[in-house]
Amino acid sequence: MPTRDLVLAALFAAIIIVLGLVPPVMLGFIPVPITAQSLGVMLAGVVLGAKRGTIAVLLVLVLAAIGLPVLSGGRGGLAVFMAPTTGYLIGWVFAAMVTGYLSQIMVGRDQAGLVQGVNFFIAALMGGVIVLYGIGITYLALITGMGFVKAFLGSLAFIPGDVLKAVIAALAGRAVMAGYPLLPQRA
Amino acid sequence: MKTLYVDGSGFMHRLSARVKLALLAAASLALFLIQSPSVLGVGAIATGLLYASLRIGWRQSWLRLRVLFVTIAAVALFTLVFNSPVEAVSVFFRLSALALLASAVTATTTTGDFITEVTFAATPLEKLGLVKAADIGLSIGLVLRFIPEILLRHQAIRDAHIARGLRPKALSIIVPLIILTLKNADEIASAIDARAIRAQK
Repeated sequence: MPTRDLVLAALFAAIIIVLGLVPPVMLGFIPVPITAQSLGVMLAGVVLGAKRGTIAVLLVLVLAAIGLPVLSGGRGGLAVFMAPTTGYLIGWVFAAMVTGYLSQIMVGRDQAGLVQGVNFFIAALMGGVIVLYGIGITYLALITGMGFVKAFLGSLAFIPGDVLKAVIAALAGRAVMAGYPLLPQRA
Repeated sequence: MKTLYVDGSGFMHRLSARVKLALLAAASLALFLIQSPSVLGVGAIATGLLYASLRIGWRQSWLRLRVLFVTIAAVALFTLVFNSPVEAVSVFFRLSALALLASAVTATTTTGDFITEVTFAATPLEKLGLVKAADIGLSIGLVLRFIPEILLRHQAIRDAHIARGLRPKALSIIVPLIILTLKNADEIASAIDARAIRAQK
């Protein structure tokens, strides 16, 4: 793996961690603070693509596993991997992978801004919401013996916030592509 | 960044990381196979005593485990309402025992030992040609090295907003943060290659 790719993934892992450390930001028109770390996962996909984005997320998880408080709220250690919500952490890996892959194949540098934005949003939604919640809810249902329906109902309240994050990720992906394009292009 | 390791000299500190991880895996499996609430209760008390023997203190333990216990309580409550009290108690004991045991392993194993284990665990992947084990340690070091710098950059961007009389907004902070941070990648990669760090065997 080229050194530059390794460095990009490591830098983005650090960005994801910082997004968990800083106070939640306001969206501007909605008076609800959003914790940005899951936004960071979608961003990893839209900015770096599938391979480097996934490696960035894996690095964050490895750092959490070895006992560093890198997850939002100062969480870390092996206990976060033995929790009912661990499925969402596992889901992060696939969310970045799916978002990155869809971004690579759907978005091009010479597309119109609006088209790029919409494509990035679809990529972020598929990965960061659909795949992420699919895995998170499945894990929750199996580990706690709750069953899928109840696990789904319990997780429902968080979905709108993450859809909003997908919008932000799409807009950010478009802006970063205009300023410093890094997404591997596939014809 | 301060790790979750707590210094000490108890028997858990003296066990090797590999043994602790293997025991954790075995205990997790056992906890999921056991259905009886009373056995799970004994397990929860045992792990509680083990965790208490580390003398981490109430406040520090609360800070570390509060989110996890809120989640466990929520799941137990859910199970109580939708299933039965017996199942709720089982779920509570099982998840609590796991949380306490995992926290105890984290608190008694140094970061360095963990990295050694991760690198060891990656050697099969290295044989498959997927990853170089040495790269893992390098990447971990890189991430840790750049967290403070990126934090400062984030603060600088926030201050720039305030200086211009703008309220810091998600998009106008995140985009410059990403671009400015990733623009350094080429320099950093050159510095690593110039020292031939990745070429060493």
